[in-house]
This record gives sequence, structure tokens and C-alpha cells, in this order.
Amino acid sequence: MDKQEFDKKLVDKIKDEHLAPKPRWHFLLKDYVIMASGTLALLIGAATVSVMIYLLKYNGWELREETHKSILEFFLLTLPYFWIIFSGLFIFILYYNLKHTKRGYRYPVWVIALSGFVASIFLGGIFYLFGLGQKIDNVLGERAPLYETVMNRQLSFWFNPGEGRLAGIINSEVQAGNFYLVDPTGSLWLVMGQASADARGNDFVQEGVPVSLIGETLSGNLFRADFIRPLIPGSGYLNGPKMKTNRGRCSEEACPRKRLNLLPGGIGSGTIIIEEIK
Amino acid sequence: MMDAIEAEKMSDTDLVMLSLENQANFLYLVDRYKGKLLSYIRRLTNISDDDAEDILQEVFIKVYLNLNGFDPDLKFSSWIYRITHNQVISSHRKLKARPEGYAVNIEDKAALSLAADIDIEAGADLQILKQKISQILAGLDQKYRDILVLKFLEEKNYQEISDIIRKPAGTVASMINKAKKEFKKEMAKQKIII
Repeated sequence: MDKQEFDKKLVDKIKDEHLAPKPRWHFLLKDYVIMASGTLALLIGAATVSVMIYLLKYNGWELREETHKSILEFFLLTLPYFWIIFSGLFIFILYYNLKHTKRGYRYPVWVIALSGFVASIFLGGIFYLFGLGQKIDNVLGERAPLYETVMNRQLSFWFNPGEGRLAGIINSEVQAGNFYLVDPTGSLWLVMGQASADARGNDFVQEGVPVSLIGETLSGNLFRADFIRPLIPGSGYLNGPKMKTNRGRCSEEACPRKRLNLLPGGIGSGTIIIEEIK
Repeated sequence: MMDAIEAEKMSDTDLVMLSLENQANFLYLVDRYKGKLLSYIRRLTNISDDDAEDILQEVFIKVYLNLNGFDPDLKFSSWIYRITHNQVISSHRKLKARPEGYAVNIEDKAALSLAADIDIEAGADLQILKQKISQILAGLDQKYRDILVLKFLEEKNYQEISDIIRKPAGTVASMINKAKKEFKKEMAKQKIII
């Protein structure tokens, strides 16, 4: 290779094609975009994790023996798969961004993947402590389509009267543990819950509170509740605009008449109530 | 523009900064790396001399265009070797291989170091040793040849190789071990006795 000739060719090419070093901001921008999208992925992933923790905490662990055949079945059927996939996606985006930082290639894949995972779980835990998981669940419950079938499957799990599970919002005064309840479809139920309410002192059983119940459908829309628990994830959905309309319609039209049925017969006399409801 | 003696005393990073101020200073960097990189390109691939020079020119153009992207925390030599490595890979498919095959320029020290590291006893004739190493390298997969070239012929350490091929140092270590085993296998396959 002729040294002079090579240099001349190189200089000529630079001059002829008017080449110049790319500006510094071009490279800084690239780094900032990677950092910003990584940070965003971390924040979204952590927010997702906080919803996951929230859903898992109020998954119905205390009633698992009543609702499922085994712990394994309970575990597999109640895991919040949507949120697991969603957080997995953002943890992967975070991993991708970390891998593409200036020094990302120096670390083994497992170190980067584990760092992204641990950071998302840790920050997600902090977000959960500050109530972000609940806030997101409530907002999505109020506004997101497919919330009850995809984002929070607990709601559809708990609303299955044929299998002895009922969910909804208490729509009347509670007298001796009995009350009216509007389910997620807007139907009205009379719930005889005195055994549970009296024996366990469930002071959360009040008008306007979303609850889930285990018991038995006696006839029509009459339900005997053996266990009552507050329905915490999903309360945004049950307090949302759709349910408000259902509850509003209920109190203006059919429900007042039915509510009267409760009062004169005495709340504890289930037989009378059944006849009146029929 | 400074003179050549002045430039010789300067670090690569200083020359990068000066090249950004004055395009003419870039030629000092070119002179510093031209020979090494051309030799590296020829060790990586069996293309003609003209093609190797074309690749080298492309490398320097890329370096020039990306001068502002050079990270001073990284060694300049690792950065320019990385660009060269990538350029060879992207150009290799387009270019025709030389019919006479792969012949690597190996320095005496590199040949002895490779022989010692692979645990083979070199005979008295260094020229024969170099010729046989070249023959074995030619028979290896590109990925094994690349890593052995960087480690033994270019004499780069693990961290430098990691920065050049953008893989963790641990992965580089296992790749070198694997490449050495492949070298031995190839030696047996070709029935070469050193």
C-alpha cells in the first residue's frame, strides 16, 4: 500500500463528498432516547407490578379452601396473568434498553435481566405501598373495556351464582346481616347474610360497599351467604359509571318496591321474604 | 496544524479532539492505525489487497464521521478495531475470496505465544510453525478464527476484545477456550504435526 496515495484518496473522498463528523447532539440524543425509554419501561413495569401485588394480596387466600379444590388449583386459576404478561413485556423492554446502553454489552445477559427484574419488583413494591396499584385498578375498573374479563378475572370468578359465588355492591341498608345487592350485570339480589355478618362482626357490610360472597342460590335472586368478604380489587368497576347507572335504575324503578318487602316481615324471617320476592 | 513529531507524542484521545478542530489532524490518526488495521483486516478475511484497502478506507470514513461519538472512557484502539471488525463482517459477503486461499501474516512472537497457549511444542523452524498455524486458522469457523486473531495475533487482552466484539469478558474467555479446542481439533483433522 502506498501511504501517500492512500491518504490522498481518503482526503479526496472526504472533500469530494463533503463529509463531516456527525454533530455531538446526534450521539447524545441516541443515548438519551435509550435512557429515557429504559426509565419509562421501568416505571410502567413497576406500576404493573404494583397492580399485580395488589391483585395477589386480595386474591381470596382466606377462602381458598371454600373456593378451590387444592392450593395448586387456586394458585393457577387466580394468578393475574394479564398483568404478569404486561409486566414481563416491560421488563423485557427495560432489559433491551439496558443491553443497548454504552456499557450494556459488558454484562452477561442474566445480570442485566435479573437487574431489570429486581428493579421493577422493588420499585413496584414501593409504588404499591403508596397505593398506586389500587389507584390503577380503580381507574381501569371505571374506564377500561374488558376490565372484568381480562384485567381482573377475580370479578368474573366471584360472579358465578350457579357455583355459589356472588359479587356486587350492597344497595340497601343492612338489617341483621341481610341486604340487597346489585350484581355486575345490574340484577338485584336479596342476600341473607346474617350468619356470616352476625357471627363474624363484619362491620364492612354497609350500603355502597362492593362485596363477594360464598353461599348458595336458594331460588331466583335470593342468595344465602355463608361467607362475605369485601371485594377490594374491582371496587372501581363496581363503583364505576356503568354500575352507577344500574344502581340508579334499580333505586328508581323496581328496587324500592322490593326493598319494602324486607322491612315489614322482619329481616330474620327468611321464609317470608322468599315468598314476597317470588 | 501541528507537525508529525508533535502528533507522535499525543494520545489517541487528544488526536480525536484535534481532528474535530481541524480535519487535517485526522491524518495523524490514520497514519497511526493504517498498518495495524490493514494487517487485522487481512488476518480476518482472505480478500484481495485492493479490497482490503477499500475496507480500510471505509473504516476511516466511518471513524471520521463518528468522531463525536467516541467515548473517551473506552480505548480508542478498541473503538477503531470494533469499527473495523464490523466493517469486515459487512463487506465480507459482498467480496470475492482470493482463489489461493487464506494466508495470515503472523509475527514470530504471536506464533510462539499461540503454540504455548494451546499447549503444543513448537519445533525448531519458526517459519514452518507460522505456516502451519496459518493453515489451521484457515480451516476454522470465522467466529473461532476472529477470536484467536484478536487474542494472539493482535495481542488484545480480554477487556479489549470484549469492547471490540461487544460481548462480556466472561463470554470472551469461554469463546477463547472453545476456539483453542477447535484449533486442536482442526490440527488433528488436517493431520498437522507441529
